[in-house]
Amino acid sequence: MIQPFTSDPLRWVAEDGQPIGELPARFTPEVLRHLHGEMVRAREFDRKLVTLLRQGRTTFYAQSRGMEATQVGLARSIRVGHDWVWPYYRDHALGLAMGVPLLDLISQCLGTNSDPSRGRQMPHHFGAARQNFVSVSSSIASQVPPAAGNALAQKYLGVDEITVCTFGDGATSEGDWHAGVNLAATAQAPCLFVCENNQWAISTPLRAQTASASIHVKAHAYGIPGYLVDGNDIVAVMEVMSHVAAEVRAGQGPALVECLTYRVGSHSNADADAEKNYRTREEVDAWVARDPITRVERLLEHLGDPITAEERSGLIAATHREVDEAVRQAEATGQPDWRIMFEDVYADTPVHLREQAAFLRAEQTGAGQTGGRA
Amino acid sequence: MTATEPRPGVQASATSGPRTLNLIQAITEAMREELARDERVVVFGQDVGARGGVFLATAGLQAEFGERRVFDTPLSEASIVGAAVGMAVRGLRPIAEIQFADYMGPGFDQIVSQAAKIRYRSGGQFTAPLVIRTPSGGGVRGGHHHSQSPESYFTHTPGLKVVMPSTPYDAKGLLRAAVRGGDPVIYFEPKRLYRAAKGEVPDGDYTVEIGKGTVRREGSDLTVIGYGGVMPDVEKAADALATEGVRAEVIDLRSLMPWDRDLVLRSVEKTGRAVLVSEAPRTSNFMGEVAYVIQEQMFDQLLAPVMQVAGFDTPYPYVQDRVYLPGANRIAAACVRALQY
Ligand SMILES: Cc1ncc(C[n+]2csc(CCOP(=O)(O)OP(=O)(O)O)c2C)c(N)n1
Repeated sequence: MIQPFTSDPLRWVAEDGQPIGELPARFTPEVLRHLHGEMVRAREFDRKLVTLLRQGRTTFYAQSRGMEATQVGLARSIRVGHDWVWPYYRDHALGLAMGVPLLDLISQCLGTNSDPSRGRQMPHHFGAARQNFVSVSSSIASQVPPAAGNALAQKYLGVDEITVCTFGDGATSEGDWHAGVNLAATAQAPCLFVCENNQWAISTPLRAQTASASIHVKAHAYGIPGYLVDGNDIVAVMEVMSHVAAEVRAGQGPALVECLTYRVGSHSNADADAEKNYRTREEVDAWVARDPITRVERLLEHLGDPITAEERSGLIAATHREVDEAVRQAEATGQPDWRIMFEDVYADTPVHLREQAAFLRAEQTGAGQTGGRA
Repeated sequence: MTATEPRPGVQASATSGPRTLNLIQAITEAMREELARDERVVVFGQDVGARGGVFLATAGLQAEFGERRVFDTPLSEASIVGAAVGMAVRGLRPIAEIQFADYMGPGFDQIVSQAAKIRYRSGGQFTAPLVIRTPSGGGVRGGHHHSQSPESYFTHTPGLKVVMPSTPYDAKGLLRAAVRGGDPVIYFEPKRLYRAAKGEVPDGDYTVEIGKGTVRREGSDLTVIGYGGVMPDVEKAADALATEGVRAEVIDLRSLMPWDRDLVLRSVEKTGRAVLVSEAPRTSNFMGEVAYVIQEQMFDQLLAPVMQVAGFDTPYPYVQDRVYLPGANRIAAACVRALQY
């Protein structure tokens, strides 16, 4: 039985890859290999995007290296296309594992015509209607009250769905976070709150963010269960998530799961100097040693079905090919022109926006002044 | 950190005479000097300490003044602004940083309900002299959550002062004035000018009075009025017009609340034409107020309608960043319309 409010993170696989107790039956080597593949794919996506950033082909990217088990494990507990997700900007591994097409994701990062969000958002802020994966907002914690509302709607409509809301540890300091969790709790709305506690909010360490011993204990104050799980152990993440998601689905109200993990890379391209400015190399190295992908590899070795070097490099190469191809396809569609500015502002375009669009059309086509005002 | 070590983003302040600084260096220098001058001054916000702020505006300040004076807060704008109000009421001189103006939202209630109103609601018994510094505006490919110009929300709130410098000289002088004044001041920093705007800054103490604009160039044919990030483009437009023999007078408002009506009206009286430039969305843009005052006071003297060049009434788009902003061409075209009216 998985109990809430533990002080040690729940863990099924030790850091050296040894199972702690008996491994749940569903984690066959085949399943573990599949999960491993998804994590490697997310990691290589990450690596390629950092390269694109260095090449100046995109302008922003928030790495999630080290957080793959949390996101891929969470994805496995979501019934894609039924449940709803209010993610945050670091969730591409979650999106990929939920089946958001790589082309859509890359297109969003490049702001090309193939971008479903039409080049309006900054890179790495994607959304995918087919997966009920709601477009990311940069504004920290602003997704939490809407996620509570989404869950309220699900309860109201009596549908067999839940809402999943993700955020970083820093987000739990915002008033919106508290307001959203409290509302969902009082309404007993089917909302699964997932804290991807990667220990840092840009340069602010967890201990300077909250005086709580952990994030999951905050759930107590709102009257909902809170769980702490080793976010680098994909078996643990999946076990806890499926247990908790089942309770939320069963109408027992919201719950909070804190996945203890680590942001190995910088916060974004804006602080490539993380190690120099506010973190120690030792701390980063200690977490690299707990790498979630390595842990599954060691587990598979332990189970007598190791991933060979060729298999691994094959996986990596396949992802690189896949990303390169998506970049090629996306770039071939070109960049959206000025028209995208005026569409989707409202359901129907009011006259003042039509005037402003006419003004800009004249300006852009050199057709001279139209008398439009801008 | 010793005095001889170079500090990131900051020029050594030991040289004599005017020095050339960029906008962000001038801002850092103002904070450093205010911290040194007055024990009550404290600087805080997200990542302002060890990291020195995402744009490095506070780089080196924690090392120099310690964690009691310069510190990081949890990720909560409501707490940052609310705490600044409480500190100010209790006698400190807080300079709070909101990482991007786009994130003033979570602190909005504290700004408009507490900071702006405590003097009024208490009959002057309690006051909240504080500064909220925040990078604003577009041009850095930040999409709609890192490019907005929310100044009009705050000029619409009685009790707040609102300033936005466009030169290092003004940046330093206005920040000092804001720290020493008696009111809450929203100090917008046009982020695309952080490193692009360079200029001379004198040694020694000076302030730029809040509420006073300045004439950047004299002219007699029309008056172009702007503030913040658009100013270099306003100047470029004026250059272009000059090659056609048109002499534009260029005014930088610097302060939006209060704003320098006298300066504007005197200029428009001379030229008979006004073109108002800002990058915030056009509808309910602060410049609408300037236009209103000009037409009310000078209806008879105007030779053309007051023209407004502004951002579009759309969320700030990522890919069309540069098209969204009113560049020199758009400004010059509005001037030509005013001249040909
Ligand atoms: C309301 C708001 N304030 C500030 C920021 C600037 N900002 C962007 S990411 C970030 C840190 C977020 O940390 P956390 O929630 O722990 O997520 P992580 O990036 O660590 O995954 C900050 C302060 C923002 N995006 N929104």
